[in-house]
Amino acid sequence: MAKRLRLSELIGEIDDAIQNRFAGETFWITAEITDVKKQVDKRWCFLKFIEKEGSLIKAEIKGVFWSTAFGSIERFEKLSGQPFASGLEITCHVRVRFHNRFGLDLEVLDIDHSYALGKLEQERQQTLDRLVKENPKQIRVVDGQYFTRNQSLELPIVLQRIALVTAPNSDGQRDFKQEMSNNPYGYAFSVTEFLTQIQGDNSSSLIIQKLQQIEADKENFDMVVIVRGGGSQTDFKPFDDYELSKYVAVFPLPILTGIGHDRNTSIVDLMARQHKTPTKVASSIVDHNFNFESEIMDLKDRLHITTERKMDNAKDNLLQIKRTVKAYSPSTILNKGYAIITSNDQIIIDPNDIKPDTEIKTILKNELIHSTVTKKSKNELDL
Amino acid sequence: MNLTYNEAYSKLSTLVDEIEDDKIQLDTLAEKIKQAKELIDYCETRLRVIDSDVTTALKEPKTKKKTKE
Repeated sequence: MAKRLRLSELIGEIDDAIQNRFAGETFWITAEITDVKKQVDKRWCFLKFIEKEGSLIKAEIKGVFWSTAFGSIERFEKLSGQPFASGLEITCHVRVRFHNRFGLDLEVLDIDHSYALGKLEQERQQTLDRLVKENPKQIRVVDGQYFTRNQSLELPIVLQRIALVTAPNSDGQRDFKQEMSNNPYGYAFSVTEFLTQIQGDNSSSLIIQKLQQIEADKENFDMVVIVRGGGSQTDFKPFDDYELSKYVAVFPLPILTGIGHDRNTSIVDLMARQHKTPTKVASSIVDHNFNFESEIMDLKDRLHITTERKMDNAKDNLLQIKRTVKAYSPSTILNKGYAIITSNDQIIIDPNDIKPDTEIKTILKNELIHSTVTKKSKNELDL
Repeated sequence: MNLTYNEAYSKLSTLVDEIEDDKIQLDTLAEKIKQAKELIDYCETRLRVIDSDVTTALKEPKTKKKTKE
């Protein structure tokens, strides 16, 4: 015969039974989390733990982090670079609680970080393995180093027309643009912004959409820059997404990333040319152009040196010619006491042209002597 | 002048090689030096102004070259 009880009495008995079985005892469980509701201001977090068999949920229970355990969520996010969100599998330390109004739940005391991180690392490695396996022509791995088609694209000799993918009003956007416009050499850049949400669900496909827009207009860009601000933002997950990583690996314009994370490198970073921060991406672009300008300056120096040398040589040669010309000029010769003989205003070079009775002119330094030849004989003087 | 940086660079280095050659004819030297200087100016200016403004910037005094926002 069933007992008749007030609700509070029955719940009291349930409470007693649970107390008897679970009081003072704690457990370690591994389960997937879902319906995660963080209340950052109060430092609470409500969620559900589930266990699936295929797509069927086999077990489910409410869970809660109170403020004493909330720090372990923050630590998880800092270490993993991922938000503490539905879909994660975690191992955590719990105790069973029962409340007269709110019922049964598990209070989480701590998270096993090494398990959670190991699990994420494992997923990340699976994505990397899949990228290499499914795109053998575009993505290779040698000694743990990834080589992609995108990385093998040669950077234009000067980088000026830049497609910037980033979140609107983000630190990354500001840092990158500031570093570019404050470059010490006064280089000009044309930065076209492709703004999109870059964290949270769906952001990886939003980023792909932006890359598609750039690809459609690729003749007008030298390169693509993807940057993300650091700071308190924790969601690194879109940059480990398979589809986005693959898109980056085969993208036809060189991509530089400045996604910025202390702990690890995202898969997108591995598929592109990685720099640690947006500022460093910008300074590497400025340095790249500076290298080009240095080569131009070297050529300019060579031009100046060789021009000067050539001009000096030409001056020397001219001086030499002047001297020679002067040495052979008639006035120099006449000064030395030689004479020039002409007949009919023709300089006589061949003595056979002169016969006796010819009128000749003898040109000396200051005088002309007019005479008629009376006699010719062989020159037997020893000059 | 509407050259890519690659074209400008390779033209310029060819010119400098030619100018450095001792066999160069003196009467072609001046022309080559002039061309080389134009190419240097072109690269220097193009690094500092956005594409469409290059032609005007090369003609105008240097004060106009700032393009910062």
